[in-house]
Amino acid sequence: MSSNIRIRFKILFYLLAIMFVVLILRLYFMQVMSGELYAEMASESITRERTISAPRGNIYDRNGKLLVKSVPVKAVAVQPGIVSGNENVMRILSECLDISYYEIKKEVEESNVSYMDKVIIKQDVDIATVIYIEENIDRLPGVEVIDVYLRQYNYGSLASHILGYIGEISEEKLKSEENDYYYEGGDQIGLGGLEETYESMLRGKKGKVVYEVDPLERPVSIIRETEPISGNDLYLTIDIDLQKVVEEALYQSILEVREKKIKDTDEHYKVTGGAIVVLSPGDGQILAMASYPTYDPELFVGGISEDDWNNLNDPDNYYPFLNRAISSFPPGSVFKIVTSYAGLSEGVITEGSRFSCAGIWYGLGQNFPKSCWLKSGHGSLDIVGAIKNSCDIYFYQVGYGLFNKFNNNQELLQKYARIFGFGSETGVDVPGEGTGLVPDEEWKKEYFKDQKENTVWFPGDTVNMSIGQGDLTATPLQMAQAFSIIADRGIKYRPHLIKEIRDSEDILFKYSSAEEYQDLQLNKDFVEIIERGLTRVVSPGGTAYGVFMDFPVGEIPVAAKTGTAEFYGKQDYAWFTSYAPVGNPEYVIVGMLEQAGSGGSNVAPIAERIYRYLFNID
Amino acid sequence: MIRRKNKDSFDLEGYGGGKKAVNYDFILFFMVLAISSFGALIIYSATRGTLPGGVTDPRYYLKKQLIYLAAGIALFVGVHFIDYRKIERFWWLFFIAGIASLGAVLIFGYEVHGSKSWIDLKFVTIQPSEFSKIFMVICVAGILSKWKREKEHHVTFKKVVLSLAVALSFVLMVLLQPDYGTALIYLIVYICLLFISGANLLYVISIMGMMAGGIFFAFNAGYIKQYQLDRILVLLKPEAYPDEGAGYNLFQSKLAIGSGGLPGKGLFLGKQTNLSYVPEHHTDFIFSVIGEELGFFGAVLVIIVLGVIIWRCFYIASLSSDSFAMLLGAGVGFIILSQVVINIGMTVGIMPIVGIPLPFLSSGGSSLISMLLGAGLVENIYRWRESRKEHEIAYQQFK
Repeated sequence: MSSNIRIRFKILFYLLAIMFVVLILRLYFMQVMSGELYAEMASESITRERTISAPRGNIYDRNGKLLVKSVPVKAVAVQPGIVSGNENVMRILSECLDISYYEIKKEVEESNVSYMDKVIIKQDVDIATVIYIEENIDRLPGVEVIDVYLRQYNYGSLASHILGYIGEISEEKLKSEENDYYYEGGDQIGLGGLEETYESMLRGKKGKVVYEVDPLERPVSIIRETEPISGNDLYLTIDIDLQKVVEEALYQSILEVREKKIKDTDEHYKVTGGAIVVLSPGDGQILAMASYPTYDPELFVGGISEDDWNNLNDPDNYYPFLNRAISSFPPGSVFKIVTSYAGLSEGVITEGSRFSCAGIWYGLGQNFPKSCWLKSGHGSLDIVGAIKNSCDIYFYQVGYGLFNKFNNNQELLQKYARIFGFGSETGVDVPGEGTGLVPDEEWKKEYFKDQKENTVWFPGDTVNMSIGQGDLTATPLQMAQAFSIIADRGIKYRPHLIKEIRDSEDILFKYSSAEEYQDLQLNKDFVEIIERGLTRVVSPGGTAYGVFMDFPVGEIPVAAKTGTAEFYGKQDYAWFTSYAPVGNPEYVIVGMLEQAGSGGSNVAPIAERIYRYLFNID
Repeated sequence: MIRRKNKDSFDLEGYGGGKKAVNYDFILFFMVLAISSFGALIIYSATRGTLPGGVTDPRYYLKKQLIYLAAGIALFVGVHFIDYRKIERFWWLFFIAGIASLGAVLIFGYEVHGSKSWIDLKFVTIQPSEFSKIFMVICVAGILSKWKREKEHHVTFKKVVLSLAVALSFVLMVLLQPDYGTALIYLIVYICLLFISGANLLYVISIMGMMAGGIFFAFNAGYIKQYQLDRILVLLKPEAYPDEGAGYNLFQSKLAIGSGGLPGKGLFLGKQTNLSYVPEHHTDFIFSVIGEELGFFGAVLVIIVLGVIIWRCFYIASLSSDSFAMLLGAGVGFIILSQVVINIGMTVGIMPIVGIPLPFLSSGGSSLISMLLGAGLVENIYRWRESRKEHEIAYQQFK
């Protein structure tokens, strides 16, 4: 062999050595120096996490009747990242789920979820379809059958404003800090009523499966699995049978009142809505709470349709979503209990103070005549008679007296209104509670800041407020709370809807806030004077006597107050507030009908019917 | 075993020894047997769970590979009994056979991954471009070696032109399939042979220049497709090709090998490869399985064994004073070397992704059998080098 070739062989051996050293160095770098990093990346790239939804807690009424339960169903979900563009898969899905191809395509392509997240195409899929899909899963990459829980409402639309409904979590909520990494796209959360308030109690704890997948995302082995924990069950203070009676009474009465014509006109009462609250005065438990018009929470199961949603938000349907029991309305005469107590407490009147009513009162000056609802006048009345007859002029004078004391520096009427809970939330455990409004000078300054002449608090403002008019507003629930304060001699409970919460093993959950109360240190004598007046309301000559004529008030004494509030540009708002039996109060019933005229004739019958049910009177 | 200390002096130790009872390079022999048996085991590990190609028997690929291994070993040993000098005279027959089989594949072949590289003989499929690598080496060795009428071995211009024509014929046939990776191996092997034959470096450099020009032209004229370009670009910018094609293959292969770490995940326990994350993990990406399951130790061991095999090829080639034997042995070494470096380099991300098998290890009969045939030829050279020497000495004495 020539030396030339030998040199070339030598070069060859060196090159061979260099190339192999390079390969080994490269392997050293990858496997020894970066091995852990690669191992981490590798395990990340093949492991997937999937959450298992937890059954949402059930909701029972106070007697353990099941109102709302979670029903496990199968749902077909897809991963948009895999399915979009796979026409074949979407066609198969369209066929077996009986949804149009374009609807599926739209849902898949317009979904905002991240690459590996999923979108539910159809819930409550029947078992034959589930089996078909599972058997053909190889032909359906990106499709999976998952377990979801749907709400089932055993009592239809009963108590829907209390229960609320559940729906898919919104994108904003998903991104907000509240999310605390719990929710994922497509999750159902409580969106109203108790479902919303007690979301964290009801939702339970999701389970988790960590598993490995092959490149087609098919699971090959489970690494670890934690079972979901069912949500806690809510036991309400609501008595569903009573709720049913209340809702039916409300609905029937509204239909009846709509038939009536306003006195001396051809116009019918519109009665655009109404609310009833039945409260237990001894503990603040809400036994029934109805609002009309109402809606069927069943509409939200499996996602609400656009038409249904639009109907629920159509003003022509009078806003069925609005829970009127916790919305603010002008209270009218039912507010007079506050004026009464304030007057007695501040010494503006005593039990024996009498005022004369001639149908018109010029206390604010000749240019500002104020009239009574009874044009002919009530004559001479004491406080009990004034309450019984709901004499406006009596209360004008109490209000005027309160205004004049300390030159209204202390805004006494407002002070007592606030003591009775007006102007702030009661703290009831459903969202969307209105505060009502207790107007004062400060409010006027803010509200009328563009009309300087109106920023002063006039004596007339207090006078108007003394009969529950002016800018004063209150919610039916606030009113029920105020009457329960009278009934309970100054004990103010937080009205609430939850009796107890039990976890999935039926163990009582620690839940203390239900028992919150506050002793307002009211003067018992004054309260009894007011109660005496309220009791007379259903006695002969009282504003609600017509309705309670046949009611055995001898056995079951009822304390009540009627109200007919003027509302600018609308028909009168009718109120009826009451409790019974006087002396040992068990129930506070407050009713309100929008644009329904007189509370004494149009709302009192609802309460009367409910009392009949509650006390088993035919 | 006969060893030769001084390659320039006549080996008197071997002189007159003729056919000795033990005349075998056991290092090469055992290394080849070990690595190809190990290959069958690794293929079993790679295919027992993933069942590529829709087979249902977890041992399907193992069984096939063992059959090929048996056939290959038979050839490996059998070729030992034929004097390689008989081959030298008939190099042109191998040219005809090679070109004919490559032509046949263009007519009767079927496509896999866009290349028409396979002939289906019903009971077995053959990839002629694998065997033709050996054939081309035989032809080029025959042309570049000492011709009968020459007094001394000299690589003339004529020989260079002729060998180039032969080599380009093979390359062209493979390009028509088209199988660019294999064509590249042919070119590299040819240039290396030309270099080791002692040809004037000017020839070597100008032919390399021509080829570079040819590749440049082919690219500009649009003969090179985008996906082939991607396979090279992916090395420079892997993050630009995250999910599909070459980038995906490379990413998964690197994950598999890297995650093997120092000790590896254990035989049969490679997750990335056993879950089919690495495409072609039983064929072109078999090294990913080795890297993942046997770790740095196993991978380096495999590289060393392959390195020893290549070294033995070159060493045995360099032992021979017969220029044909030298070129034949070196040629086999070049085939193994180029494929090992490109294939392993590709799995670890330092070489472009071209579809060539890892010698002795990748699943597939044609590659394994032709590699064993090549190794058999090298053993053959080792055996017959002594009698050739005898012949040479006799010739010298006769002169």
